[in-house]
Amino acid sequence: MSLLEVENLRTHFISRDIDNQIRVAEALNDVSFTLEAGKVLGFVGETGAGKSLTAQSICGLLRPPAKVICGRVTFDGHDLTAMPADDLNALRGAEIAMVVQNPRTSLDPLTRIVDQLVRIHQAHAGGPLAASRTRAMEMMEAVGIPDPKNRANAWPHELSGGMAQRVLIAMALMNNPKLLIADEPTTGLDVTVQAQILDLLKHLTERFGMAMIIITHDLGIVAHYSDEIAVMFAGTIVEAGPVSEVFEAPGHPYTRSLIAATPERLKVGGGAKLGGQPPDLYNLPSGCALRTRCVFASDVCATPPPRTRVGPDHDVNCHFAGDLPS
Amino acid sequence: MAIPLLVGIVFVTFMLVRVGGLDPVGRLAGPTATAEEFEMIRAELGLDEPLWKQFAIYGGNVVRGDLGESWLSNRPVLTDLKERAFISIELLFWGVGIGTLIGVPIGLRAAFRPNGRFDQISRVLSLLGFSIPTYWLGLVMLFVFFYLLQWAPPGIGRISLMVSPPDHITGSYLIDGLLTARWGAVQSAAAHLVLPVICLAIVSAAPIIKQTRAIALEVLSSDAARYARASGLPPKTVRRLVLRNSATPVVTFVGTEITGLVGTMSLIEYVFAWGGLGQYGLNAIVRGDFTAVQGYVLTLALFSVIVFLIVDIIVNLIEPRSELT
Repeated sequence: MSLLEVENLRTHFISRDIDNQIRVAEALNDVSFTLEAGKVLGFVGETGAGKSLTAQSICGLLRPPAKVICGRVTFDGHDLTAMPADDLNALRGAEIAMVVQNPRTSLDPLTRIVDQLVRIHQAHAGGPLAASRTRAMEMMEAVGIPDPKNRANAWPHELSGGMAQRVLIAMALMNNPKLLIADEPTTGLDVTVQAQILDLLKHLTERFGMAMIIITHDLGIVAHYSDEIAVMFAGTIVEAGPVSEVFEAPGHPYTRSLIAATPERLKVGGGAKLGGQPPDLYNLPSGCALRTRCVFASDVCATPPPRTRVGPDHDVNCHFAGDLPS
Repeated sequence: MAIPLLVGIVFVTFMLVRVGGLDPVGRLAGPTATAEEFEMIRAELGLDEPLWKQFAIYGGNVVRGDLGESWLSNRPVLTDLKERAFISIELLFWGVGIGTLIGVPIGLRAAFRPNGRFDQISRVLSLLGFSIPTYWLGLVMLFVFFYLLQWAPPGIGRISLMVSPPDHITGSYLIDGLLTARWGAVQSAAAHLVLPVICLAIVSAAPIIKQTRAIALEVLSSDAARYARASGLPPKTVRRLVLRNSATPVVTFVGTEITGLVGTMSLIEYVFAWGGLGQYGLNAIVRGDFTAVQGYVLTLALFSVIVFLIVDIIVNLIEPRSELT
């Protein structure tokens, strides 16, 4: 059994416009994927494709007007969509931990680092305070914070962005999670620090046997650090599979244009670039959401594209999967 | 920082009062005065000197702690102000204190359930508090609670005419009465405080409700609060985090609110014949009593400086990010 199984997840934003008409933004449409224990899955896609929203839907962190319409999320044998809010809260930060993109503002500005680490441990594991403190020191050590004894008493505003991200990672590790969700963990950091943080995350997943979801819009990060990739577009996973497979033989026109848009490929001048704007989630085209921009599109694309297996564990949501001209 | 500010304030009030078209000479001389008498009074007040010289004399006196004499009361302005300052501060303390104690919890509760029924009711209440004219509220309260129901004493001062005030210690009849164990005076002083305090509490609570709600809502949607929820911290812990992080902006707001309320204070004091600083200042402005107006404005400026200093100290105590610690 897989650690995480997501089936047909749909999340919509339901609101009313000024004429009191109900408006629905179909932000997630039929997202399905599985993640095995200990594996790293990378989510890529443009802004608004639904990467972060997928993570939030899984963890039950949606706030109105966002709402899970249907679908099943099974984590470690528990159905998260059917779970009472309190139980889900107990799971968050313990079994499923998160690392987010604004580490400095995400820490509580009025609490010392060590007290925040202790707080998250106490909230889930409980036990004697001294044990939580010891664990906090160990985790600060594990994430490579120099001189943890002194740093423990620092305030969040005294940390650099990279250091604050290490603290967040230490917080995530406090309760020994089975799954770590890293939502654009390096977006706000400079490039040298990015690599350090990502190397650290990869190293920690191996050391502690965690599975990890990395959400990013940087294909390079996924290529380098994940085992599997899921390409999202307009709230759907359009292509998923092992990283080597997908990069070797991208089956979806969108994946192809993404890869073609990376600096290395641009230099060689290969691949079709994608024109146009992301589709309006309030008014998605029928069938394949990409069809208004896709050079391969034909009449058949107005019907929902089938999920087609094109290689080992490699799925593509496209009518022309497998027989696109290369 | 405060000293150049005060110098600027002395200058601006001095000039404003002089170009404001007030004519104390005409008032002092009376309608039957001759031109010679006019000139005599003018010379006596020093108003025949050029403006820059008048300011130099006044400025020099202020530095020496002499705010001049009031032309109306014929007493040093400083004595007048000292007598009245505590009377007003007492009213302000109770009014804003109660306004804060009501406003902050209502604002917080509204923020935790935005658009809920409680939020909607609190919004209507704060809108009412905003839109009611203060003097009108005072008059209606007197009409209802004194004239119709006879629950409250009449709005003519701080203590009943039948009760002799306690010996002067602080200037507050309530505190002086307690200190000298004059229970009758305490009771009467407390009864006279009720209506003006309620009036001020209502007027000050309205913006505090609105602002506290906005502050708490912002903290609730901050990265720190969202991350706390994502970490699965219990709702109680998250709420505590939000409360603590709202404290600094709320305290700062209440501070500015207090300094902004001195105008409202004048009207309330006027309606209830309170005899404090606000009423004194209002009288001085209406009657063209230059030195008294200047002294009044200077006192308010000094008061604001002190309030902001206290706010800074409180913020320092709750904020690890502040520079002074």
